[in-house]
Amino acid sequence: MSASRQIADLNRDYASRYGFHDPEEYLHKAPKGLDHEVVEMISRYKNEPRWMTDIRHKALDVFLDKPMPRWGNTGMLGSIDFENIHYYLKPKGELTTDWDDVPQNIKNTFERLGVPEAERKFLAGVTAQYESEVVYHSIREDLEKKGVIFCDMDTALREHPEIVRKWFGKIIPMRDNKFAALNTAVWSGGSFIYVPKDTEVEIPLQAYFRINAENMGQFERTLIIADEGSSVHYIEGCTAPVYSSDSLHSAVVELVALDRARIRYTTIQNWSTNVFNLVTKRAHVHRDAVMEWVDGNIGSKLTMKYPAIILKGEGAHGEVLSVAFAGDDQHQDAGAKVIHAAPDTSSRIISKSISKGDGRSSYRGLVQVARGATGCRTSVECDALLLGGKARSDTYPTMDVAEKDVKIEHEARVSKVAEEQLFYLQSRGLDPDQARLMIVNGFIEPFVRELPMEYAVELNRLIELEMEGSVG
Amino acid sequence: MAESNLIERGAGRPLPSAGELAALSRSLGESAAVAARRREALDRYAAAPMPDRVRHLWRFSNPSRLLPANLAASVAHEFVTDVSAVPEDGAFVLMRAGVAPVFRNSPAAEDAGLQISSLAEADPEALPFAAGDGGGELFSALNEAAWNTGLLLRLPEGARLAGPIHVIVDAGEGACLPRIAVEAGAGSRATIVEEHRGGMPGARVVGSSALRAGPGASVRRFLVQRWNPGVNGHLDLGARLDRDADLLTVLASLGGERVKVEVGSDLAEPGARSEMVGVAFADGASHLDHHTRHRHLAGRTWSNIDFKTVAAGRARSTYTGLIRIEEDASGTEAFQENRNLLLGDAARADTIPELEILTDDVSCSHGATVAPVDREQIFYLRSRGLTEGEALRTVVRGFLEGTLSRLPDGVREDLGRMVDERLAVLEGGRP
Repeated sequence: MSASRQIADLNRDYASRYGFHDPEEYLHKAPKGLDHEVVEMISRYKNEPRWMTDIRHKALDVFLDKPMPRWGNTGMLGSIDFENIHYYLKPKGELTTDWDDVPQNIKNTFERLGVPEAERKFLAGVTAQYESEVVYHSIREDLEKKGVIFCDMDTALREHPEIVRKWFGKIIPMRDNKFAALNTAVWSGGSFIYVPKDTEVEIPLQAYFRINAENMGQFERTLIIADEGSSVHYIEGCTAPVYSSDSLHSAVVELVALDRARIRYTTIQNWSTNVFNLVTKRAHVHRDAVMEWVDGNIGSKLTMKYPAIILKGEGAHGEVLSVAFAGDDQHQDAGAKVIHAAPDTSSRIISKSISKGDGRSSYRGLVQVARGATGCRTSVECDALLLGGKARSDTYPTMDVAEKDVKIEHEARVSKVAEEQLFYLQSRGLDPDQARLMIVNGFIEPFVRELPMEYAVELNRLIELEMEGSVG
Repeated sequence: MAESNLIERGAGRPLPSAGELAALSRSLGESAAVAARRREALDRYAAAPMPDRVRHLWRFSNPSRLLPANLAASVAHEFVTDVSAVPEDGAFVLMRAGVAPVFRNSPAAEDAGLQISSLAEADPEALPFAAGDGGGELFSALNEAAWNTGLLLRLPEGARLAGPIHVIVDAGEGACLPRIAVEAGAGSRATIVEEHRGGMPGARVVGSSALRAGPGASVRRFLVQRWNPGVNGHLDLGARLDRDADLLTVLASLGGERVKVEVGSDLAEPGARSEMVGVAFADGASHLDHHTRHRHLAGRTWSNIDFKTVAAGRARSTYTGLIRIEEDASGTEAFQENRNLLLGDAARADTIPELEILTDDVSCSHGATVAPVDREQIFYLRSRGLTEGEALRTVVRGFLEGTLSRLPDGVREDLGRMVDERLAVLEGGRP
């Protein structure tokens, strides 16, 4: 049967598919550890305006001043050694828009990961970030003609300083949390998108993030502005080699959907299990605008990520659709935050998690309604599937409601794979592995459905890999 | 300054001296073992940190506002004076700060084997209190060190009580620290009503109540909190259920100003079952904060929670509820539902229903809602000739009725009247 052959063919692990690493060839590698000198060096290297350098220094002070979080998996967080991380790595080769100009080793990497192939197939623009810098970038000409700006953040700071200065740190201030402060101090790379008024970007823009070196810190900074009545879909994927010691990925993603705009932001996070993934993502959503976070977390050692939506204008709508898969030694601490700050705003959160082996997944969410935000509607749905007696699932939703004319609903269910379903599928000739996989695929189907086809295929394949040998 | 030499003020909390505890021990006529236990608890209390406000269980309540400024207590203004009302086939107990409980046992309860005594005479090692539960070390250690009225209820194996054991705790004036232990032997049956009432403005209550339900025991436990306005306090209600024990906990919380109540059951052995139903009604400018906890430590255990809150005026209701299923608790079912009704334009509700599940063979769900009164229901009732105010009162009463109807006779009518009095102020949908 072809399905079972397919599963057999996929009997490869992360290490061979994404876990490889290139020999390290760098133009510049900051020494391990973090101080004002490192920050100054990064800024000087990038030839930044003084105001950005000042922001970086201020943010470093905030980072050093703020204590580590006292909530979440404090045990894992406590094992981060900030002194044992390279905060800036500039790979050889300059930013290019011609794939042939990308240095061979990096090209090989992204070709193995299927990035240029994906671009040819279905993307309107691609950015590829390797360590701290974006190494390749392209955007379709017709979009450029319409005035769509899609580039890396460093380029944006040089070429569109007025837009960057207007929005940088306005959605996520440096004092927001320790890791946002860290990112603000040492950020490098990331995507910048500006979509002009009433412009529709019909096919997705994509970024691919890759960490190659050991003990690397990647701190990309992404800013997306969707002007009035425009729409855009942005997709990011990420991988890293498997090393014995840990790397840190701490991104800040700021989005603004102005009146009637629509942003969809899709992430397939597949870092290797030695990466701490501590990310702050937030969107301001104005009148009648729509924000959608589609967030898949498969990899990393510890992920702490709660994509946030602040509904600022009347009639704004927000959705968070997320899937987390926690295998052995992994903790996916993910969730969503929605703040209803204007009347007649609505939101929906759907979270699905799978914990396998001794993996742990947590949903941590906040729904807040400000006084005066009348007529708000929100529903939160959490589903957790447990595979194995040592797997763990937590649900920590907070609802804080200061307005009576609202409708807030939260529901959560936790269960294991139902024996009846397994029995039924096996009686139809599937082996236990296939049956379990089919049930898991059915469980995450509402999420997969929302992905572009290539990503859906990729995610299904990842889940198959993760599910290998889950029987017994 | 008679009062201030009783107490040394710690950092934002009362710190009783060893001499003061000794005086308390003498006045309550305690055994040396009980007095030694107080001193031990005092050390733990002094070392205990304030609950962490960053963590969600204390995010909404400031612990220092629940603590007494000092431990001086007075019962000069007794709220309850009539102790003659012994329930038929049951028992009556009155607790007040600084004195041993006053109690009457009905002949039927006595025949059934119910033993009532002051905690001062009990062996502290044998009591069912679990250390550091509820509000964490701080509140449990303070109560253990400085409790000023204590009660032990003991039901021997197989004892079956027809009537309720009605315990009234009068908040009085100053600091009231009641400590109640209940031991329900194997196969026993009992109904216990713990009613907290009274209190002069500024009174502070830090109460601890622990239940051990032996194998196959069946206990119905009611907690009624109806303090006067101006009373702040923290109540911790713990329970441990042995094999096949069955516990129903009914919580009705209507009074006080700043109140935190924590109710927890440990399902410690297979076959244990725990059901909790609760209502909280916050009005005026009060803030009622309730926490429920079901901890499944053994397999084949079952729990269910249904908690409803109403917040009117400028009041605030907080609900946090934890279901935790440990690794060894396979075959467990656990459910939780929390519904919050907002009546006031300035009212506020917070809810955090939590799940922590450490094994896979479980069936577990929770749900929470926050909503105003359903306009369709109001419309329907108005079309039946009710005024806006009447319709509103009817809908709110209906929301609470399912839980209130489970209270025992006497208490149910009392609380029904209290709810009605409060609802009477709600007019035309504009409380």
